[in-house]
Amino acid sequence: MIVMYLKRVMLLMGSLVISIACMAQGAFTVDAPRVVELDESFRLVFTTNSEPTSFNPPTFSGFDVLAGPSASTMSSTQIINGKKTESFQVSYTYVLQPKSVGKFTISAASVVIGGKGYTSNPITIEVVKGDGSVAGNTEKSAQATGNVSGNDIFMRMSISKGRVVKGESLVATLKIYTKVPISGFESVKFPTFNGFWSQEIETPSNIEFVRESVNGKIYDAAVLRRYMLVPQQTGSLAIEPSEIICNIQIKSPTGAGQRSVFDDFFESYQTVKKRITAPGMHIMVDALPAGAPATFAGGVGDFQMSAKLTRDTVSANEAVSLIVTINGTGNINLIEAPKIEFPADFEVYDVKISDKSNQTNKGVSGIKEFEFPIIPRGSGHFVLGPVKFSYFDISSRKYITLSSGDLILKVGKDKGGNSGMSSSLSLGVNKQAVKNLTNDIRYIHSGLSHLKRGNQFFVASLTFYALLVLMISLYFVTNRFLSKRIERNRDVAGVKNRRANKVARARLKTAESFLKQKLYTGFYEELHRAILGYCSDKLALPLSDLSREKIAEILTQKSVKPDLIQELLSLIEACEYARYAPDPGGVEMDKNYSRAIRLISDLEV
Amino acid sequence: MKRAIFLFYLLVALSSSVNAQTPKELWTNANNFYSKAQYADALQSYLKIEESGYASESLFYNLGNCYFKINEIGKSILYYERALKLNPSDQDLLNNLSLAKDFSLDKIEEVPDFILKTWIEDINYSFSSDTWSYFTLLFFAAMALLLLNFRFGLSSRLRKISFFLAMASLLLGFVAGYFSLSQKYRYSLKNTAIVMKPVSTVRSSPDDSGKSLFILHEGTKLELLEEIGEWKRIELADGRQGWITSLDIEVI
Repeated sequence: MIVMYLKRVMLLMGSLVISIACMAQGAFTVDAPRVVELDESFRLVFTTNSEPTSFNPPTFSGFDVLAGPSASTMSSTQIINGKKTESFQVSYTYVLQPKSVGKFTISAASVVIGGKGYTSNPITIEVVKGDGSVAGNTEKSAQATGNVSGNDIFMRMSISKGRVVKGESLVATLKIYTKVPISGFESVKFPTFNGFWSQEIETPSNIEFVRESVNGKIYDAAVLRRYMLVPQQTGSLAIEPSEIICNIQIKSPTGAGQRSVFDDFFESYQTVKKRITAPGMHIMVDALPAGAPATFAGGVGDFQMSAKLTRDTVSANEAVSLIVTINGTGNINLIEAPKIEFPADFEVYDVKISDKSNQTNKGVSGIKEFEFPIIPRGSGHFVLGPVKFSYFDISSRKYITLSSGDLILKVGKDKGGNSGMSSSLSLGVNKQAVKNLTNDIRYIHSGLSHLKRGNQFFVASLTFYALLVLMISLYFVTNRFLSKRIERNRDVAGVKNRRANKVARARLKTAESFLKQKLYTGFYEELHRAILGYCSDKLALPLSDLSREKIAEILTQKSVKPDLIQELLSLIEACEYARYAPDPGGVEMDKNYSRAIRLISDLEV
Repeated sequence: MKRAIFLFYLLVALSSSVNAQTPKELWTNANNFYSKAQYADALQSYLKIEESGYASESLFYNLGNCYFKINEIGKSILYYERALKLNPSDQDLLNNLSLAKDFSLDKIEEVPDFILKTWIEDINYSFSSDTWSYFTLLFFAAMALLLLNFRFGLSSRLRKISFFLAMASLLLGFVAGYFSLSQKYRYSLKNTAIVMKPVSTVRSSPDDSGKSLFILHEGTKLELLEEIGEWKRIELADGRQGWITSLDIEVI
């Protein structure tokens, strides 16, 4: 690496200058301290990166021009690994001194490079009444005390807003101000922000000092950290003090009177450690006003929202996304996904959130995108949304609800095709259980009220007892009625039986006496006569007309049981037979007698 | 006679104008309010019916629903339990009560009862008292018919069967009557209560100085054992006992 400094050797490098001028970009800048002391002389430098053909100086009001413009040219060539870079610079330097305290503007200067005019920015310089200890010329104060006072170096935290509402972003800047040279930092303790969501938006790796005036004194100031804060709690939130230990170079206090020649010549410096703190502070955070809409998702700032579907016509079981985009400034990082109610038939997956935001000194602005992947399971015509998003507008101090229009999604029939479910779908519909969305109590009984005063129960009520008594009495009445009827029926039969028996016995009286005397022929004759006589009486037929066939015919007409008729006929036959047959013994006589008795009784009944 | 009728109508008209609304009208209004989701208005109408001395399972059930809808779980459980005492077999009621109980905080492990007792209770509570009383009358009627058949039946076999069936009917009639009466008795017993306060302390003795034994929350069911002044001795379903102030509870 070869670095070459060549000053005021323009002529020597003439040929080179021409070539650089050809590729000039034509930038023209001005550089001067922003703050100066009243009796301080300072340099104002205009710089351009190519050789100008003419230079129009600015007008200096409020400043005395001590020297200048003195033009200087600098050119450098670097060759790094065979790659050559060249730079060229022409600068015009003025040395100025302010005339009085105040703010003065030095108007723009202009140059013409290659036939084109370039203008620098006007520059405003603040002139303060200094105490002579200008930063950079620290020797005086440091020399005087050999020590560093709190006025020489301090740290300060500044915030963009002192009173905010919850969720409103603010910027806190930690700056160091010094009049003494600092060689380094040790054990830096940055503040913690309890109750805030905080993010470092500026963490300079090289600390750049810029002149600044504080209470009329000039300091070298540098930003250590810049934070974006979003309060998450309400009330008075404290920002804790931050602390830093600086290594400050001061001129070593040499022994009294013992000043060697070398001391004067080589100023010896010594490093002193100094602990400086930025005081803590409080930020009043007001709660958001009551009456937040249900769709409020924590956004504070100024936002716009749009919602759209990636496609408005899909087939069932095909994925589609609903994309909600929110852009604007405010605490956009902290905005939650808006709640969207999808039809119950939709399968909804986790929201994908993408965040494109950039922090500025004013807060965060950017775009946040919420993607809701959904898969409709059934076909139909669905209306999604409207998607609603509410935020608290800081400028108008009101909740504002943004609403997208209705999003219409047409879901066609499942194409099947190459989806995994096609095989089952071809066989039949994919059955699914009826899902419980929520639990709720069942509806009221809206029919008959069944309102009753007093006793609520039927049992042991008057009606109940009355019914019971009624039932018991009905039973007894029925029972009595039935038993009486049976009794009566049974009596009629008994009387009849008794009468029939009597008739039979009267008819067979003579036969009975013959039976007792064991007069065989007489008995049967008498029995035969008695039976025929009974039949003639009963059937109102003269004895001469009585034949077995006639008896049977008439009895059948009178619907007498056939077995009785048979019995009668067989008895008559037995009698007729026995009258002419020899005596078989007493047993047969007894049997026929009782047969006759029973037969007549039965016929009588 | 005509004058008497006229006077009667006049009285009815007067009483209705004083009462503003008959229970039937109130009932219809309350149902309409409920269907329009105006639960507080519905509740007022139902409560008016209750104040005028009427009661029914449906009324208590609807009251329970209203209280549930306005998020008064304790009251809701109280009215469901009251309805349950009138009809322990209503499925809607059982469903809503179990849902309301899910919202009450206390979880109490019930000491399991003797299995036979549980069975009998299950059978008992599968019909309402009125249903059981109808069964009683039916069984007695059946018994009467069967006894008549037994006495005057034609064949001896039929008469034999009739006799056994009559005895069975008599037994079933008594069982049904017992169930019916036991439910009526249970309703007349005022020995259970529901905690009404969101948080209520149960103490070891019936005064404020007693040691706090445990804390109960709204909607918990208690059994009342005895009463001294403003304090009631209670037992939880898990057997724990203590004293609670009457102000914190409401008897079912």
